[in-house]
Amino acid sequence: MRRYLAYLWREFRGEILVLPGRTILFSATAILLILPLLYPHPYLLRILALTFIFAIFAASWDLLSGFVGQLNLGHAIFFGVAAYASAILNLRLGLPIIITIPVGAVAAVVAGLVVGIPCLRLKGQYLSLATLAFPVILMGLVFMFTEFTGGELGVSGLTRLAPTRLHEYYISAFVGVLSILAIWKITDSKLGLVLHAIREDEVAARASGINTSQYKLIAFCLSGLFAGIAGGLYAHFMRIAGPQSLSMLTSFQAIIWTIFGGIATIYGAVVGVFVLFPMLEVLRVAPEIRLLLYAAIIVLVLRFMPEGLAPWVVDRLERECPRCKEHNAFTRRECRVCGTPLRVPLQKTPVSGEHMSGGEGLSASQEGG
Amino acid sequence: MRKKWLVLLVLAAFVMTGLTFSGCKKPEYIKIGIIGPMQFLQGRHHWLGAQMAEEDINAAGGVKIGDKTYLVKCIQIDTNEILSVDDAANAVERAITVDNVDFLVGAFRSEATLAMQDIAMDYKKIFVVCGASHTELSNRVASDYERYKYWFRVTPENVSYLVKDSLILLTYVAGIVREELGIQVPKVAVVIEQAVAGDPLAAAANALIPTMGMQVVGTWRPSPTATDVTAELTAIRDSGAHIIYTYFSAASGVPYARQWGELEIPACSVGINVEAQSMGFIDATGGYGNYELTLNTLAPGCAQTDKTIEFYNKFVERSGEYPTYNAGTYDAIWILTQAVERAGTLDPDAIVVEMEKTDYQGAAGRIVFDQRHDVTWGPGFVTAIGTQWQNGELKCVWPYEWLLPGMTEPLTYPGTVKYQIPPWVLEAYGG
Repeated sequence: MRRYLAYLWREFRGEILVLPGRTILFSATAILLILPLLYPHPYLLRILALTFIFAIFAASWDLLSGFVGQLNLGHAIFFGVAAYASAILNLRLGLPIIITIPVGAVAAVVAGLVVGIPCLRLKGQYLSLATLAFPVILMGLVFMFTEFTGGELGVSGLTRLAPTRLHEYYISAFVGVLSILAIWKITDSKLGLVLHAIREDEVAARASGINTSQYKLIAFCLSGLFAGIAGGLYAHFMRIAGPQSLSMLTSFQAIIWTIFGGIATIYGAVVGVFVLFPMLEVLRVAPEIRLLLYAAIIVLVLRFMPEGLAPWVVDRLERECPRCKEHNAFTRRECRVCGTPLRVPLQKTPVSGEHMSGGEGLSASQEGG
Repeated sequence: MRKKWLVLLVLAAFVMTGLTFSGCKKPEYIKIGIIGPMQFLQGRHHWLGAQMAEEDINAAGGVKIGDKTYLVKCIQIDTNEILSVDDAANAVERAITVDNVDFLVGAFRSEATLAMQDIAMDYKKIFVVCGASHTELSNRVASDYERYKYWFRVTPENVSYLVKDSLILLTYVAGIVREELGIQVPKVAVVIEQAVAGDPLAAAANALIPTMGMQVVGTWRPSPTATDVTAELTAIRDSGAHIIYTYFSAASGVPYARQWGELEIPACSVGINVEAQSMGFIDATGGYGNYELTLNTLAPGCAQTDKTIEFYNKFVERSGEYPTYNAGTYDAIWILTQAVERAGTLDPDAIVVEMEKTDYQGAAGRIVFDQRHDVTWGPGFVTAIGTQWQNGELKCVWPYEWLLPGMTEPLTYPGTVKYQIPPWVLEAYGG
């Protein structure tokens, strides 16, 4: 047991504490999981629970659009399909949450196929425009079959996600953390590498023997699955699934959160939601200029941090080793993996006739070869 | 020495101030959260109506609960519900748990109101709606009374009554057409904008109008964002319609009315045109909006009750706008505070019992709640009114000698004038 604990500590120190970015993420997650026990204020828990739900949604958009480069402007379709499916199953068939949310997520996977197949041959702005059309089509269906969908009013009176707000929070938080870790793991896996390759150069990927169509469809389905989980959670948390879940605003929110936090990073999308969604609540102190301030903050952040908030912070806290590309804390002088010097004194202007000596005047990359 | 005196003087001043303030009784407040989309007209009117009620109630001595007197304090809660349902639900939970409001009054968009209703019921907060019209809100009271009994609606009438009122208004105009133009079976063109709420209205109009001694000549569905409806109006002219039955909830009501007047379409226009309820309508239509008839809640000079004109004028004076039904927060707060006084406690269950006994003469009519906690509709209670633009002024034209089975006297609100058929329609049919 003692040996096992020592092993865990070693791993924790070597994998988490060694990098400031990971330490911050770990600490934030720990605080988010412990804080509600100490201060279970229902409003705070409401905002945080919704933040976790939207974090899954934003990360699922990042998976498809950031990692695979399939710029989806109608991501709300996955969210909305799952929300409506969960709501209808719960209200009309009386199924419990444990069934409705997973079935809703499966419905979103099917929606992923429905959107993905016709979009396989489309690229760039054509793909984006095509994806934009799908939630609009679905919205039309919602208004056409009002006896099932409730039309403008939506499907309301659903079973609560859990009997108390604290339980609701922990369900959202655990599902959120697990889903985000799963998305992160996918992008870090062999599959993630293939998806990344498709984004960088689809022709080259195909030339290397990768069935890009199949992988793009997988990406659509995976993204749909996680957005669907978020949609099902949202419907039961709000106790209503309405046309807003399919609206353009819902799609664009995911894009704004992800680009603000840092696209193609997953953690950036999560950071974006955790900064922007609660910030909108904080800005209630100035209701008249609330949305104006919100927009101004986003514009300013993107002006000075064009790659997003999270990568900007990580760039300042961590240094990439020029040799092995491993990340190191900004305080380190040498790479923790290969020992390459990370801080190299400024190159002295060589005085004529003077020979440069040793590695002192070389840049780290020159030295590392 | 002088310095010492100065110090003593300042100290004495502090002591005196402290004594003075400690002698004052700190007022206690009943906090009412006014919820609405505050950046939009609907929310603004919620807030203005509520502020007027707050001032009037506090000036009249506040609210007495037992031996204690409370002042009313309205707290503005911007729900942003037109744009976001989440935002609305978050705002309501914040109002209850952070601002610690005792009651909630307002709300506008039905989809958001359903979400807000659930939160209010979780906390057993009395929630009085002044804006959302959907029947689902009151159906919930009927289906699960114990949970939803804290919910009430003061304005508007629920959506099924709105349809009923608009068809009664059509019957009224058809009667005048029969009388003045001698057309016994008027032809009706149904013009309903392409909005979700318009679908049942179009179906109801097509099903019911033929049973009302009229003939439907066609249904036209212009876009809610249309800026030109000439094609529809020309087709209506060709159809030989004598009356146009309208439903415009959005901005397209302005181009419709402008072109109807400009092209002098020989048919009376009657129904719902939300734009025609606003003060700037005549200017927006370039003066062509005259004779447009729409369902409305309040009108200048029309006294549904003794309180209407005073409230109306005060509201116009403060805001420079005609009050919409959202300003019903004024009546809602009076009803609520009177129920609190009768209950003699802030216990929501006791207040609900008193709210159910409400029989209150408000600005828009006599307010009595039905079993679903919805405002009771009908002559002698609350009905909509019909307003027509005549010579650039908004006039109440209906109810005008309105007689229903069971009524002993016809109903005409003071200040109501007779409906005027547009002169070009009179000319076209030799009236």
